[in-house]
Amino acid sequence: MRNFLTLLSKEEKAVFSSPIAYAIIAVYLLLMGFTFTLMLFLNRTAELVRVFFQAAILFLLIVPVVTMRLLAEERRSGTLELLLTSPVREIEIVLAKFVASLTLVALMLLLTASDAVVLGIYAEPDWGPIYSGFLGLVLLGATLAALGLVISGLTSNQIVAAVVAMGVGILLWMIDSIGHLLPDPFDTIVTSLSLVAHFTPFATGALFLSDLGFFLTVILACLFLSVRTLARR
Amino acid sequence: MTAVIAAEQLTKWYGPRLAVDDVSLTVGPGEIVGLLGPNGSGKTTILRILTGYLQPSAGTARIAGLDVVDDSLAARRHVGYVPEDAPLYAGMGVREFLVFMGRLKGLTATGVTAAVDAAMERLGLGPMRSVLIGRLSRGYRQRVAIAQALLGNPELLILDEPTNGLDPRQIIEMRELIRSLGGERTILVTSHILGEIERVADRVAILLGGRLLAVHALRASGQGQRLRVCVRGDEEGVRACLSRVPGVTTVGAQPVAGMSPPTYVVEAEGPSVAEAVAGAVVAAGFGLLTMEPMPVDLEALFLRLTGDRPGASA
Repeated sequence: MRNFLTLLSKEEKAVFSSPIAYAIIAVYLLLMGFTFTLMLFLNRTAELVRVFFQAAILFLLIVPVVTMRLLAEERRSGTLELLLTSPVREIEIVLAKFVASLTLVALMLLLTASDAVVLGIYAEPDWGPIYSGFLGLVLLGATLAALGLVISGLTSNQIVAAVVAMGVGILLWMIDSIGHLLPDPFDTIVTSLSLVAHFTPFATGALFLSDLGFFLTVILACLFLSVRTLARR
Repeated sequence: MTAVIAAEQLTKWYGPRLAVDDVSLTVGPGEIVGLLGPNGSGKTTILRILTGYLQPSAGTARIAGLDVVDDSLAARRHVGYVPEDAPLYAGMGVREFLVFMGRLKGLTATGVTAAVDAAMERLGLGPMRSVLIGRLSRGYRQRVAIAQALLGNPELLILDEPTNGLDPRQIIEMRELIRSLGGERTILVTSHILGEIERVADRVAILLGGRLLAVHALRASGQGQRLRVCVRGDEEGVRACLSRVPGVTTVGAQPVAGMSPPTYVVEAEGPSVAEAVAGAVVAAGFGLLTMEPMPVDLEALFLRLTGDRPGASA
């Protein structure tokens, strides 16, 4: 646990001392603010469904940039050898990196919560879908962070890590479209792998335990695989 | 007494390539042992197995009695490791980095301050305490890496090519540092340069193509030594006199020709031969000008062991 906290504080510093974090936050807020304003004046309804979907799409592109350096950079610079020959467990290293990247995602969502506050001040929104939408974004962000972490552990090149993580994330997002073309039972299997299929209920205010289970399963599987990428060969 | 390093029949395959082939090595407490071999001879792989970064394909290794595979975490606590080229976090300050590493090695919040200060003092890093590691010169980076390895006071230090990339003055400082650290703990150091190992190690293990060719003592420990003796007097008489001394096996001439007065190379077995040689020379009425122990001719040994094998020049 103490090792985890030591590693976490190092990772947090690495995330927040890099200009990447601030560039990401700034671009994200700009695009989100643009959409929120546009939707508000076009639709004139007190809801955030569109905003949630746009945040999800931005996460597909942004989270891989947050996670790309996590393990790839340590591998490239050789510091991974320093970490792995210290008396720390691989799982502690992986969790510290995962939580640190999640902090940035959480910060972005916290800043997006200002949209909800604005709605609350000027209208009477239905709060249920707003809460569930943010929960869905937290889960989606965590899933993409865990996915990006595994992929970062497989290469020593940050750009490769980012591009591959984006590709996998986007493919998983839209994979349900091809599911409809496949015969039974493959259609169900492929459709149930889709990120959008599990995110949509959250964004529209319908909570299902199965969607929660899906995200948690993918996160745990990715963290497990990340530990495996660090395993001694 | 438990050996600090006990490696038995270590073997490591990288896919189809055999990197380490059946290497056994035992290192006792307080010893400085050098691993010598050309690049690609398996030195770094052996170190990585001992530090738990890699797993051996076959064979076992124990650090302070702890298996590096089954008891990896506990074994790692006994090792301070400086990987080749001293990889460090460029974005961290010197002190910040050392505190981070100290905490990972299990030092408490109060203990780490004292340990880091002591390590920085020892390596002369005081003026660099808040400088970013990425801004340090090669020599300072190497020192930071060694300071990191000293935290937690491990009984074994493993240094991979510690003099690589340093300028001549820094190389001399590094040698002195390694020797001074050796008094307190066991050190395993690698190099592909003969002279480096010769100057710091008590014993040398010579590797080629993943195989351990020989383990050779460099510091005479009672059995067997070579003396360079410079004596004034007629050559035949001096030679006869020297070869009569008990324990002396051969009397050769110094390879440098034309030196006057002539210098002899005496190889002898048994302790305190130097005294007997001096006594005999003086008693026979010759003038003893100088006498000094000669280090083992590592270069000749290395060339003899590696000369006729493929890959020796790699």
